Amino acid sequence: MKKLLAPLLSAAMLLCLTACGAPKKAETSLFAMDTYMTLVAYGDGADDALTDAARTINELEQLLSRTREDSDVWRINHGGGQVNPTTVQLVEQAIRFSDETDGAFDITIAPLVDLWAINSDAPHIPSQAEIDSLLPLVGSDRITPNGKTVTLDSGCAIDLGGIAKGYTSDRVKEIFARHGIKSGTVSLGGNVYVCGTRPDGKPWNVAVQDPRGGGYACTLTLTDTFAVTSGGYQRYFTAEDGTIYQHIIDPATGYPAQSDLLSVTVVCPDGTRADAYSTALYVMGEEAAIRFWESQGSDPFEMVLITADGRIVCTPGLTDHFIRQEDASYEVQFLSR
Amino acid sequence: MKFSVKKLALCAVLAALALGLSTLESLFPITLLVPLPGVKLGLANIVTVFALYELGAGAALAILVTRCLLGGLFSGTATALLFSLLGGLCAMGVMILLRRSRKLSVYGVSIGGAAAHNVGQILAAIVTLGSTMVVGYLPFLLAVALVTGSLTGFVVSLLLRATAHLHLTDQSDFR
Amino acid sequence: MKSNSSPVKTRPTPWDALVVTAVVLLGVLTALLFYTPKSHTDGPLTCVVSVGGEVVDRAPLASFAGEHTYSHNGYTLTIRASGSQVEVLNSDCPGQDCVHSGSISRAGQSLICLPAQVVIHLESGAGGPDVIVG
Repeated sequence: MKKLLAPLLSAAMLLCLTACGAPKKAETSLFAMDTYMTLVAYGDGADDALTDAARTINELEQLLSRTREDSDVWRINHGGGQVNPTTVQLVEQAIRFSDETDGAFDITIAPLVDLWAINSDAPHIPSQAEIDSLLPLVGSDRITPNGKTVTLDSGCAIDLGGIAKGYTSDRVKEIFARHGIKSGTVSLGGNVYVCGTRPDGKPWNVAVQDPRGGGYACTLTLTDTFAVTSGGYQRYFTAEDGTIYQHIIDPATGYPAQSDLLSVTVVCPDGTRADAYSTALYVMGEEAAIRFWESQGSDPFEMVLITADGRIVCTPGLTDHFIRQEDASYEVQFLSR
Repeated sequence: MKFSVKKLALCAVLAALALGLSTLESLFPITLLVPLPGVKLGLANIVTVFALYELGAGAALAILVTRCLLGGLFSGTATALLFSLLGGLCAMGVMILLRRSRKLSVYGVSIGGAAAHNVGQILAAIVTLGSTMVVGYLPFLLAVALVTGSLTGFVVSLLLRATAHLHLTDQSDFR
Repeated sequence: MKSNSSPVKTRPTPWDALVVTAVVLLGVLTALLFYTPKSHTDGPLTCVVSVGGEVVDRAPLASFAGEHTYSHNGYTLTIRASGSQVEVLNSDCPGQDCVHSGSISRAGQSLICLPAQVVIHLESGAGGPDVIVG
């Protein structure tokens, strides 16, 4: 009898331990990089990890902001000078992503972004002539990174907005790892990093915003990876004639991207890549995005495309991580390899 | 193990009785209390406990498996078979262990068996549903097991006393 | 089979209480694990439907209202959700246990149809998404 009771009791105690020993949770939020950021970490080093992460986020904003006059990007756009190696590396990465996506992602789009000024108080619908005069300034071949400096062709400007948050999330991942964080979430306005698993060992539930309404389009169950969504549904302006101009400019036309997609979510273990790709795939549109996904060889990524005609197109790698959202009424399609 | 003709006949009769009892109890579904198909009162357990005491573990196990297989055959669903087999085998294992303790009475053994039976059924439910949500039913089932286990213990103790003089087996050392 | 050589006890002994205690303990433990609220904020409920072990629907109960039909294993059942509760409206499964289970309305409760392998589970607000992207 006692032989039976002993394992029973020890099993009971074990259950108690797992139930009561919930790891410590720390949470912080901040406004940076023109967005609202929320960081959550679990475990002993959680507080330190978040302090460290917040400091790094502010440092990176200092370097990568376009509007701060002491930033590296400002220096690059205004005639050069020495910049931080981090900035040079990030510019080099941006050029690589631009080449990979055949220019669908391009940081030299800045002059056209300024022309349209869609995010500003005074958006402006430019004439074709204005656009044509600026389009030649767009192209990654107009950037020359050179060790400690980055030089641009005359009249050109860069905006790292399409990649800075992704890069920042990569850095936060490193910080979490250094502090031994095994569970946490980082949301940098459309850029999400989920660290490890939830404290209960289950994957994180990452809900994808429904671009057509206030709810969620679907939920992805993810473990230790990045998810980045790009879409034109949040930042746009409506012209007097009712035309809606969303904020992502197509580098090929100089116009706001005429995408048949409402949003693109890219899931992959590289935050910078996920950020750049999500923008590029949105600009490409459904067909080209799927072709681009198919052409990825040894280093594939996963994606969720939400189309304007009410479909969710999902890569097969997410099949087991995809939860339908009944009230969102999208038709869900899975691609095949 | 060697079964004498007498013992074999007895096993067959007991297996038939167990089968009859499990059919009988389906008329009084406990599922109104715990809505999980396959969960039963465990009247057939009376036979198992009785056999365990009168005929030994081997015979009791044989009767149990026969009952489960035939019951599964009649109900025709693999799920029902899984439920009764897992439940029955768990109960059997625990009862054989508890039976070894000289300090426990028939009541202790059958209550332990009834509880183990329910744990086995929950295991079966986890397997078939692929969800651990069903464990939430266990407390209710265990409460029921305390009652049915005592009831079984009571019936078996009556049976054992009533049949003590019959010398159903060659063992004569219970009185 | 001569292993049972001890005299058979046909009346309850004090030791039987140990078995009863163990059973009660196990019951109380599982009850504690499953029925203590995970967090104090019960919040809005999330309805999670899994079919054959795969989660197919996860929605706030408030916006899950209406009838939903699931088919698996050759059986079809229809559930009805109102803003605050869920019930199995009808099912063509043999036992009808799921229909008999009535309605559920609190976190941690579930409706189960074994033949169709459908589990409808209510989670508290904590069962919603951990993070939102977009």
